[in-house]
Amino acid sequence: SAVRCQLCPPQRALQASAALRRVSDEHKKEPAASSSQHQFDSHPTDQQPEQEPQGPRPSYTGQGGQESEDYESEEQLQHRILTAALEFVPEHGWSAEAIAEGAKTLGLSAAAAGMFHNDGSELVLHFVSQCNTELSELLEQEQKLVQLGETEKKTTEQFLRDALEARLRMLIPYIEKWPQAISILLLPHNIPSSLNLLTSMIDDIWHYAGDQSTDLNWYTRRAVLTGIYNTTELVMIQDTSPDFEDTWRFLENRVADAVNMHNTAKQIKSTGEALVQGLMGAAVTVKNLSGLNQRR
Amino acid sequence: VYQVFENVAQKYDIMNDSMSLGIHRLWKDVLLHKMNPSPGTLLLDVAGGTGDIAFRFINYVNSVRERQLRRKLKNHQNLSWQEIADSYQEEAVKPFGDSQVVVCDINKEMLKVGRQKAQRLGYSEGLSWVVGNAEELPFGDEKFDVYTIAFGIRNVTHIDLALQEAYRVLKPGGRFLCLEFSQVNNPLLSRLYDLYSFQIIPVLGEVIAGDWKSYQYLVESIRRFPPQEEFKAMIEDAGFLKVDYQNLTSGIVAIHSGFKL
Repeated sequence: SAVRCQLCPPQRALQASAALRRVSDEHKKEPAASSSQHQFDSHPTDQQPEQEPQGPRPSYTGQGGQESEDYESEEQLQHRILTAALEFVPEHGWSAEAIAEGAKTLGLSAAAAGMFHNDGSELVLHFVSQCNTELSELLEQEQKLVQLGETEKKTTEQFLRDALEARLRMLIPYIEKWPQAISILLLPHNIPSSLNLLTSMIDDIWHYAGDQSTDLNWYTRRAVLTGIYNTTELVMIQDTSPDFEDTWRFLENRVADAVNMHNTAKQIKSTGEALVQGLMGAAVTVKNLSGLNQRR
Repeated sequence: VYQVFENVAQKYDIMNDSMSLGIHRLWKDVLLHKMNPSPGTLLLDVAGGTGDIAFRFINYVNSVRERQLRRKLKNHQNLSWQEIADSYQEEAVKPFGDSQVVVCDINKEMLKVGRQKAQRLGYSEGLSWVVGNAEELPFGDEKFDVYTIAFGIRNVTHIDLALQEAYRVLKPGGRFLCLEFSQVNNPLLSRLYDLYSFQIIPVLGEVIAGDWKSYQYLVESIRRFPPQEEFKAMIEDAGFLKVDYQNLTSGIVAIHSGFKL
């Protein structure tokens, strides 16, 4: 053991300095209390499970938490664990158990689930964020096709319907446990994150729908679409029709309602303006008739 | 250090209760809750002498297992009788699951008290009692899911060696948990705490266990132990990642946690 002790200090010094070099180069947004090391200990036996080559990952960018290709950061490992955990959700629900099972498939001990909150919050947030990213990519691709002229541009109504349907369909594999996920998202300590994800998703959809407004319209559109999304989600979780037909019909009706209301609102506005102009004209006529307008 | 604990072994539990006014039970419960072990976990409890953590671990894992079984049964409502019978057979083979605790302590007396306690309280399965030194554990590499050391690490002469051993015996993904006295961050409470430690605890030691010196040593060892941030840095040096600590009772006790990733 004396020999072992002699070998230990130099090895540790190497680790410490390697870690420091990485940390000073990186700009990482990690919670304050957690560690500042961003590398894996180069312990020979556990290299295989974690350091698999991540494919064509962008090499060292110097910001945003990307490491050089040799090491994976803790956040990336956490993402991998959560992604692996998703397949256990139908059986264990959105919970620490599912995360523990996910960790086990990656070759880690189940105790690694201790890195996350005990209530499975991170798992749900990770899934929602993943779905949103998928949706963005889908809409981006569609937009490209339209620009290349390969498909026709849809009406706003059709576009919104399709975007929301695509997004909601991503819930189908987990629909049994989705009510649990909704309740987790509504927990007070999760509300900031879940609200953030929701609003950015709605923003995305309107962006690809071609929304250019900068006035009060911006808020009303988002509020309306958020309302449609939430109510359709609730309908979906208790829908038993084949392939959720009822849900899509409900969605169709809601979007049509919203668009109609918007058109009606526009009509009212223009009618209102016309009315006001008519009244102004009548008032001027009366003034003329009564001779008040004459200059002496 | 060995002699201190040889003297105190028999009265260890009673002294714990009287010194911390029973709060040490809550601290240990919080530690288990934080660990949140799932059935099938292998725990190494170092310096765990009288088995407090080990027993709590067994209780926790048992209740989790029961909950899982109940949930499985609920989902099995529409199975055939044959399938139900089969699933009963499968469970009868491993009622405890395969969770295991190894309690390791340098002191045989403490382990003896622990074994007697286990027998008295009816814990029979999944427990092992091993004599060993935290600085040089008698276990192979990468064997355990969780390593805990509750109120033991301040008694280790070379803390960094103990941390390195902890790193060695943990599996990848394994967790290191340490429950230990630490620095109080509230100045008012700190004064009261000092008063209590230096005036009352040795007296209690004399009255209950007939041993003033051991408890004087105890209080001094608490003061000598590095504060939260420093200890966290030591844990990181040993190679652990995502190291964090949680203060209990405004810093009288802290739980440090790290992962081998």
